[in-house]
Amino acid sequence: MTAKKILVADDESHILNVVSLKLKNAGYVVVTARDGQEALELAHLERPDLLITDYHMPQLSGLELCQKLKADPATANIPAIMLTARGYELEAGDTEKSGILCMISKPFSPRQLLATVTEVLQKTAA
Amino acid sequence: MSTTAIAIAKTSDLAGASVATAVLDNLAARFRPAGVFLVLLKPDGTVAYADPAAGMFFQRYVLPLLQYPEPNDPSGLRERVRQVTASSSVAVWNALPGIVLGAVPYAEKRQLVGVLMLAGKSSGFKLGEDIVRVCSKLGLDGIWLNQQAEELPTYGDEAIQRHARLLLSVMRDQLRLSSLEGELESISGQLADTYEELSLIYQISGGMRINRRATDFFKQACLDVMEVIGVRGMGVVLQADNIHRQEPVLYGQMSLPPGHVKKLGDELMRQLRQRKSAIVVNDLTKDKHFSWMVGSSHQLLAVPLQRQDQVLGCLFGIDKLAGDFNSVDSKLLSSIANESAIYLENAMLYDDVHGLMMGLLHSLTAAVDAKDAYTCGHSERVAMLGRTLARESGMPEAAAERYYMAGLLHDVGKIGVPEATLNKTGRLTPEEFDQLKKHPQIGARILRDIRQIEDIIPGVLHHHERYDGKGYPYGLAGENIPIMGRIICLADCFDAMTSNRTYRKGMPLEVAISEIRRCSGTQFDPGLSEIFLKIGRDRLNEMLREHTEKSKKLADLQEQIRAA
Repeated sequence: MTAKKILVADDESHILNVVSLKLKNAGYVVVTARDGQEALELAHLERPDLLITDYHMPQLSGLELCQKLKADPATANIPAIMLTARGYELEAGDTEKSGILCMISKPFSPRQLLATVTEVLQKTAA
Repeated sequence: MSTTAIAIAKTSDLAGASVATAVLDNLAARFRPAGVFLVLLKPDGTVAYADPAAGMFFQRYVLPLLQYPEPNDPSGLRERVRQVTASSSVAVWNALPGIVLGAVPYAEKRQLVGVLMLAGKSSGFKLGEDIVRVCSKLGLDGIWLNQQAEELPTYGDEAIQRHARLLLSVMRDQLRLSSLEGELESISGQLADTYEELSLIYQISGGMRINRRATDFFKQACLDVMEVIGVRGMGVVLQADNIHRQEPVLYGQMSLPPGHVKKLGDELMRQLRQRKSAIVVNDLTKDKHFSWMVGSSHQLLAVPLQRQDQVLGCLFGIDKLAGDFNSVDSKLLSSIANESAIYLENAMLYDDVHGLMMGLLHSLTAAVDAKDAYTCGHSERVAMLGRTLARESGMPEAAAERYYMAGLLHDVGKIGVPEATLNKTGRLTPEEFDQLKKHPQIGARILRDIRQIEDIIPGVLHHHERYDGKGYPYGLAGENIPIMGRIICLADCFDAMTSNRTYRKGMPLEVAISEIRRCSGTQFDPGLSEIFLKIGRDRLNEMLREHTEKSKKLADLQEQIRAA
């Protein structure tokens, strides 16, 4: 089985580094983006198995990113986990329609994020 | 040929063990297209790294030549390595036949590792006497070597020196980059740990709700801490007071032999009461207090739960999954213990105050019931039934508890009614009945200044209102009667019907139930009557049985009050 590829998008480099380190150590291939637009381009180029994205990002917000990915058949099936400091801004309907499987609010536990990633990837594989 | 292969294998082993291969691979790849070959010599002249992707000329000729054991160092290689490492400048050597070497000193983490060299075919390379002699030593075919060499560019001293200088600056950048990457990784790792600790502390403080049982709180805290610190088992000892006391428990995948958890808990408490600070034992075999645990455990970390100078309990972890317990672990566990101790202290204070208040309320109720000889245990039963009705109406537990309290106090105003009226067996005169009808208002007046229970006053004031508006004191009807009044009213009437009085026996349960049905909509809120009827006689019986046990205590209390 080849290693799963995960795209991580966050404009805060410390989050980006913590998340990628944790995922790399767990054996995942990690691609990083520093804004929503870069993440959108990388999603098309790299076809990741999972997207972990911040909500507040320059150019394109995490929600807009997920909506754009969902609208394109080529990327519509990429599941997403959203990291956010303000989960309450998102309507339950919005997250569902945009392929966001779960929300994790900052500050988060990297261990729990990893557990969520494993769970989401298992669920989507089944 | 085979000797060469062995030599290369050895070289790579060595490189893997001592130098940053990734950095060197990267450097080698940059210079390879220019037809030069990267090799790292240690100060003793042995090869620590050689470009594994270099062409045949380098692999079969240059590398073996550099490694060829020459006891007296006739080519002066070892001497030159020493010179370069001492001078830290760029040097060019022509000592080996057909090869030119550009050498720069190579350091990692500010430690001099050796000399990094670029080897190129020298402009003087030709299949002359020198090279033929070397070929025969190395077991190479000279013609084959010459063919390999033809494809390579030639280097003079100056050209190789330029490359060596370039190597020096690229190498410095590379090393700086890789050290920054290493730093970034280490900082990210630290940050990840900090996030982990932070979210653990958030999670634990989030669990500190006062109405939660302390044992549940500590169980969850143990399970959370176990994941973050990474231990095989995490346990807790609580010896605060009667309520907050439990046998030592251990959570996690590990189990200790029977009795060991208790023994450990007792020993930890003994130690912690004296030292009042963390116990860290990374080798149990060497510890005089805990060496008896060897066989089932290896390491131990324990911190006290303390309030001022009093040790109320402790948290302990057994066997770290990776490495030793360190100061970070004990600090984290200590801060969690400190936070938890505050929680524990608050829980104890809460239970104290709550216990005192309930005790006082029960005493007050008992005093009322003692005055009215017919109604032994009545208030307590109304309280229980009121709480059940509130729960069955879909109210949350905290709200239902208020109905219990309202039931307990609903007749407190009878204190202001003459005993002769309360205890009269015959028909009351209109004056006496007026006196009796004042008890809801007297009760409300008695309680109104106690801020903490002002929310139950509607239950006291309105428990004699009727749904059809024919009740007292205000003659309110329907939904105008506060729900608490309607609930206590139903509970009160039901208990009055079923309980024994000195002058009559209580109605059978079925008769009382059908009476509630009959009066639904006139005396009682029809919605509530329906909820009441759904409770069913089995559960009502159950409730009465439960009360009988409690009322024994109450009866004793009443006896004491009467006697006094």
